[in-house]
Order: sequence, then structure tokens, then C-alpha cells
Amino acid sequence: MSIVQEISEFLQKGRAKNVKALVQQALDEGIDAKTILDEGLLNGMMVIGGKFKRNEVFVPEVLVAARAMNAGVAILEPKLVEMGNEPIGKAVVGTVKGDLHDIGKNLVVMMLKGAGLEICDLGVDVEPETFIAKAEEIGADVICMSALLTTTMPNMKGVIELLTEKGLRDKYIVMVGGAPVNDSFAEEIGADYYTPDAATAAEVAKKAVEEKKAN
Amino acid sequence: MITRDLEFEINRDEVLRQIDCYEDSDLYEEIIEEYEEILDEIKSLCEPVFLMEYGKIGPELASDELLEGTPVLMVLYSIGEKVSEYSTEAFRRGDYLKGMLSDAMADSALFSLEKSFTPYLKEACAAHHMGIRRRLEAPQDVSMTAQKIVFEKTRAKELCGMGLSTGYMLDPLKSNAVLYVLTKDREVFMHQHNCRNCDRYDCKMRNIPDVPVKVVKGSQIGTIMVKERQSILDALMERDASFTAVCGGKGKCGKCKIRVLDGYLPVTSFDEACFTESEQKEGMRLACKAFPAEPLQIELCFKSESDFMVVSDYEESSEGRTSAIEREDDLGIAIDIGTTTIAVQLLSLKTGEKILTHTTINHQRNMGADVISRIKASTEGKKEELRASVRRDLSEGVRHVVQEAGILPEKVKKIAIAGNTTMVHLLMGYNCKSLGVYPFTPVNIALIEDTYEKIIGDDFLSAEVRIMPGISTFVGGDIVAGLYACDIDRKEACSLLIDLGTNGEIALGNCRKIMATSTAAGPAFEGGNITWGVGSIEGAIAGVTIENGAAVVRTIGDKKPTGICGTGVVESVAELIKAELVDETGCLDDDYFDDGYPLAVMEDGTKIVLTQQDIREIQLAKAAVRAGVETLFLRYGISKEEVDHVYLAGGFGFKLDCQKAIEIGMIPEEFSGKIEAIGNSSLGGAVKCLLQEDGWERASAIGSRSEEINLSADKDFNQFYMDYMFFERG
Repeated sequence: MSIVQEISEFLQKGRAKNVKALVQQALDEGIDAKTILDEGLLNGMMVIGGKFKRNEVFVPEVLVAARAMNAGVAILEPKLVEMGNEPIGKAVVGTVKGDLHDIGKNLVVMMLKGAGLEICDLGVDVEPETFIAKAEEIGADVICMSALLTTTMPNMKGVIELLTEKGLRDKYIVMVGGAPVNDSFAEEIGADYYTPDAATAAEVAKKAVEEKKAN
Repeated sequence: MITRDLEFEINRDEVLRQIDCYEDSDLYEEIIEEYEEILDEIKSLCEPVFLMEYGKIGPELASDELLEGTPVLMVLYSIGEKVSEYSTEAFRRGDYLKGMLSDAMADSALFSLEKSFTPYLKEACAAHHMGIRRRLEAPQDVSMTAQKIVFEKTRAKELCGMGLSTGYMLDPLKSNAVLYVLTKDREVFMHQHNCRNCDRYDCKMRNIPDVPVKVVKGSQIGTIMVKERQSILDALMERDASFTAVCGGKGKCGKCKIRVLDGYLPVTSFDEACFTESEQKEGMRLACKAFPAEPLQIELCFKSESDFMVVSDYEESSEGRTSAIEREDDLGIAIDIGTTTIAVQLLSLKTGEKILTHTTINHQRNMGADVISRIKASTEGKKEELRASVRRDLSEGVRHVVQEAGILPEKVKKIAIAGNTTMVHLLMGYNCKSLGVYPFTPVNIALIEDTYEKIIGDDFLSAEVRIMPGISTFVGGDIVAGLYACDIDRKEACSLLIDLGTNGEIALGNCRKIMATSTAAGPAFEGGNITWGVGSIEGAIAGVTIENGAAVVRTIGDKKPTGICGTGVVESVAELIKAELVDETGCLDDDYFDDGYPLAVMEDGTKIVLTQQDIREIQLAKAAVRAGVETLFLRYGISKEEVDHVYLAGGFGFKLDCQKAIEIGMIPEEFSGKIEAIGNSSLGGAVKCLLQEDGWERASAIGSRSEEINLSADKDFNQFYMDYMFFERG
């Protein structure tokens, strides 16, 4: 097994220490930082995300794998910056205005990072203007919104309306999620995607960004 | 009032459950370590506070159930914002596990407060001379406006600096607002959240104790524990009471009858459809739709299948049974995985002598009787359960024949498995989703070769295993095995193979061309959807003649009649037509139209009848088979006279009186005299593959060469189907 494959395997087991050591070793051996990131770390996260979706592993396994990825990325980061590596895409993520729920959004941020996206976490109770201003500022591809209450769900629509008003709607992939949200609601408010869980959100976001860039 | 003098506790098991961490996880120890590591810090960050105010329901919250002016206690409690800040920060720096754990710990601490503020509720109730009737919480029980009202009335902002979002969410996040509805009855104190009334089934805090149900069967009494949202039938099956849910537990087939002897079990719409009013009053219910909320005592009114008589033998022979063992021949095992039954046969690879055959029910039946309901179960999260079930059946069957024959496991060198495409998918743990939706693409139907351990998940044998290739999603390896067993791929003249089961598979061909199809006959041939239908169990009526207007029946094992199996149904219908009690449209004589035609009387005096609806079921089933046969001949482009041999496979075909099948028009009259019942040809083909050198090669060739005809959108099939619905010979 190659060292990069080994990194992926250890990551899937959530072994942060081994991942850190192997990433360092791979760099020392002269392996390209981008290869380590894509084929080691992100590949491992993709495998674990798939297993999560198929109910083969549960939340704890994903958490420790993501933590291991984070440890590995920390070592790679200076190299990646140095070589001017671009992420596959950028996303702003937040819980909508009036809603303070944090944990679901945090899991989405974690999985999106695991899919290789650069994330700006806007936190909770986010004003519609903030979603758009930040997305414009960092040159985001995706806007992800979370809402856990039927009373705050309509605020997702507010963000999309504001985007349309500003003539920016087509510039962004808009994704929505949260307990009361479903496909028909997403369609009704004109969002591009609804995903039922964080792992699916990461998969869909990655694919959508790649398609967007290809066009 | 406001107080900060509150005890709280963090319940470790509750926290682990909330984050889906279970004892069987490899990470269990590691997560507990992390939990212990941060426990003290999290505790120090909890700042409990409790606010309470007495008031009345105003117009904003009034409803038909909650009248304006109803007295309430408005309660708001929180553990502060520090734990949430800790969690957010942990997520931010990438320590996701601590982030998730601390969030769950905050929830646990928050909910534990309810216990410690209960004395304050009691005090307030006493002061107002009232009791608590209900506990209401937004958004499940009341609108989110309630949060705003409680927030304002308790002066949470002024007293402890709490906030309210525009969506009426409380800030800090780990806070809760509750309305306790008061009543003049001072004895009542229903202050706890009742999980049973709550529809948040995925809530990790949900806590509903299992309900004990005492089960009486004959002189035996046992107790099963029924979980929330688990039916009595499912709970019985967990205890390994094997029973066929013909409809897969959908409340349709009416087979899982129970009677409530003591306790309350509500009548469902399914019960109303299945039982008369007086039967309902006597406590008759369907176990698959029975979700008990309180302890019960019930009686089982269905037959358990431990006495299921499996007809598996395609030509049972135990001659020379020991000679192969004495000679120390290499041995092989042939396996047929049927939807209903599984057959495992040990044989000599040198001489082909059959040493021992073991048959068992396919226990996947508990998750659905037919392939469609299994596919559905598999895609609905039971994939691993289904795989484990068939692996267990196979491994037990193999161990049984090896141990019973008294041979060393090493002597078994080769294993051949045949089964329909769904059975193979379930065994291999493939995703069955695509089998159930257009265009019905299988994951893999090629020949599979691997070790016993890899396929069965058991290291008892080191033999190599091969699984018969298939033709399509609907025509699987069992049919390939059957075609091969009959040497259809070698013969110049055309032969027809009909495998009669829930799905009637039909194949027609010769050494040059083979065409196959599958027709949805439904479970009627196996006793499913028939009022008194049963499997091939002892006491099942299998043969019927009508003499002087009265039925004379023959039962399996010559036991007292308990129901009708598939062959019994076909024979009854054929005899009723002959006696002119059923006309060619399938209409039962006026005298029997309402109550059915009586076939036999059970020991307790109950009549076993064949109803008009049963006859309709058979009409549908036989029309499907016949239309499949006709369509296949049309597509193949030969006449029925040109066929040399008609092989009737399957347990049902084995016992079927072919003449009766011709009489009801299921099989064309042209086949008379050419029909040969060959029993389990799937097992027969697997055996042959073990013995013939070019077996797998031929099987693979049959699999890849055969053409499948899809009947679902076939105009000719639909026309034939209508034509052959009637009872006319020809």
C-alpha cells in the first residue's frame, strides 16, 4: 500500500496521530502536497462519508475521521499556500435569521471541508444581507442555509429573493437543509438543492461545483 | 420567580446515545475517554437558571383544546450559553468530537433540570390549589408564539439577560420554555413530557419502556417485550417464532391472527377489513398492525411454521449414502436459495452420489414473503439484516449436513449455489435499489467465485464457492440452473421450462436460441392471498375431488385439515368447473357466492371454504402464467406443437396434477403428455455443475446467451392476459 493510501486508511479509522505523522513523512519523501490532500485526506473522507450515508458507520466515526483530516490539513496548509493551491470551490454556510441552532450547520461545515471546499462559517441567526455580502466578498460558489424551525424556514426564501433582486441568483448554487425542510420546500422557494444529511450535502456540493466550473 | 439554586446532572449513556455511539462501536472506549476528559470542564460551564410565572392563556395561544383564560404555569429554564460557546469553538478548531460531545452533554444537563425544579412546580400548584393536567412545549404541542409569551411573562430579559430571536427562539440556545396547563383537580400532577404522545420518533431522548405481552399458545405461555413502534408480529419474530407474513406485514393477507385475552389493543382499519364486528369484540386482531401501549395477554391463532413440510427433493435418494464417505471421495455441496425455502445437499464429487439433503425455511420470509417485499425491506435499511439471515441459514444448513454425515469439513472441496437474482443480491450484500426501479438493472449477475468465508461469512469450510450466473433481474441463476439441468442448451428440439412460484419464470429454447421471461403470478400458488391459504404444512388440503356435489379432500400428512395449499386451490377450482359450480367467467354458483364453497370442516367445527375472491386470485395467477407462455411462443416464433418437452419445476409444480392445470387453462392443452415435473431444478442444476467439467462454462453461456422478454409493457401479453382470465380449456 502506498503511503498516500495509508493516510486515507488511517483517516478512515480516525487515527489523527498516524495521519499527522504520515502526512509529514509523505512531504519529506517529496510527495506533492496536492496529491496527499486529494488522494489521502479527501479520499478518506469521501469513503467515510459514503459509509455514513449507507448506515455502515455512525456520527462518532465521521467525527474522528474529520478530526484526523483536520490534523493532516494543518500540516499540509503551509505547503498548499506556498504552491498556490486552489480549493475545488468556496461556500458560505450559516443558520438563517431568527434561528440559533448550531450543531447541524457545524456538521455540514465539517463535511464540506472534507469534500475539499473552502468554507466561510457565518454562524447562526445570519441576516440575509450577510449571506450575500460574504459570498460576494470571498467569491463563493455555494450558499448553504440551515433552518430547524418552521418559523425560521421562510427566511431561506428571503435570501433567495434578495439574490434575485440583486441580479445575483444565477451566480450561486443555493443549498438548503434542516429538520423541517424537504425537496418540495426547496423547489417552492427556488433553491437548487435540498439534502437530508451533512454527508449528502458534501457530495452534492462537490458535484455541483465541479459541474459549474466545467461550464 | 427566579432561582439559580438547581442541581443538574449529565447522564453518560444518554449523551452517547444522542451521538449514536453504541457499545459495539470500535470507538466506544475512545469516546468515553474524551467524555471523561471534558466532563469537569463542561460541568463548570453549566449555569442553570429557572424562571416561573403563573398566568392565563391569552387570545394568541387560545384554541379549541386550550381555551382562553385557562390557568397555566409558564416556565423557562436554561443552562446558559457557555457550553454552547465551548461546542462552537471546538468545531471551529476542528475538534469535532469534543464539539459534538459537549453539545449533547449540554442537552443532557438541560433536561436533567426538570427533575430539580419539580418541587417548585408543586409549591406553585399548592399555592393556587390546582394540579397539572398537561405539559406543552413548542413547536410540538403549541406554536412558537408560546416561547415569546413565556419569555416576556417570566421577564427573562430583565432578570437574567436572556434573549429572543426573531423566530422566537430562546438565547442561550440551551434553554427551554414550557407551559404547564393547570386543572382544579389537585390530585393530578402530569408534569412530565410523555414521549408516547410525541411524534418526534427520531428524538434521541425518546424513552418509552417496552411493553410486556404474554403469549399463550396451546399449553405454552411465554412473554415477549414489544418495543415502541414495533408490531407484535415483529416482536414474535425476533423471538424466532417463524411465521409467514405473506404480505410482508402490511396488514393485507390476514394471516397473523391473534386474540387479545386480557388488556386493551385498539382496533385498526386493517382489523376492520379483516374481522367481523363480533370477531373484533372477541379480541381478534392482526399481529402485524398491533402496537400495544399497555401490557397484554394474547393467544396466537396462526400456525407457526416449525412444522413446515418442505418439498425440496428433486429425486431424493439415500442409496450408497455411506459408501462415498467410506471411500473418502472429495465432496461437494449444492445449494438452492429459494425465496421460500433453502435446500442444501451434500454429494460425492467423484460419483455424484447424494449423501444428505437438508431443507429449511428461508428465514428472510419474516421480512417479506416475495422478492418485491424483500427488495423493499433491503432498501429500507434491512439490507444487512437480510444478508445475515440468509448467511445464517446457509451456514447452519452446511454445518448440519457435514456434521450429520460425520465427515471432516476439509473433505468439502466445492460448493455451488443457485438462486434468483434478488436472493443472490441479498446474499452478496449488493444494493437492491436498482432491482426495484425501472430499468431494473442488476448489480451483478455474472458467475461469482470466492471463498466460503467471504461469501457465507463463516470459516467452517475452506471450500471454493461458485454462484450460478443469471439472465436478468427477473430471470436469475435458478432458471439458468434449471435450463442446464434439463440440457435445454444441448437439444436440437425446443423445450419449455416453467418454474412456478410467486414469480412464474418461463424459458423456451434449444441449443441455438433461448428466450426467457418472468410473469408476476402472485402468491396464490403458494397459498398467499387465499382466505384459507397456507403453505405446504401438515394438514393443508392438497387434493380435491367433488363427488355428488360434495368435496372430498386429501391433506398433507393425512392430518386433520387446517387450510388449503396452492395445489389444493388449483384442484378445487378445476373440480368446481367440472361440477359446473363455477362458470367460465369464474363466477361461483349463487348458492355459494356469499359464503364460499365448503371444502372441509376443521376440528372445532369451522368450515374451510373457497371464496369467490379466492377464485379471482387464481384467475389472475393462472392468466399471468398462461399469457407469459403464449407471449414467449409468439416472440420465439414457433408453435406449441413443436415443443418436445415441458419441464415443470418448483415444489408447487412437483405436486401439481398437470391435468387439473390444463383444465383451468393455466397450461395449454397441446402440452398434454409432454409434461414432466422435475421438482427443484435449481438445486439439480447446481449439483450437475459440481459434477460436470464444463458445467460452469455452460451455465455462463446460458446466462449470457439467453434473451429476456420484458412483459410489463408488452401489448400481446396484456391481450393474452385478458383472454386467458376465463376458464376455458385450450
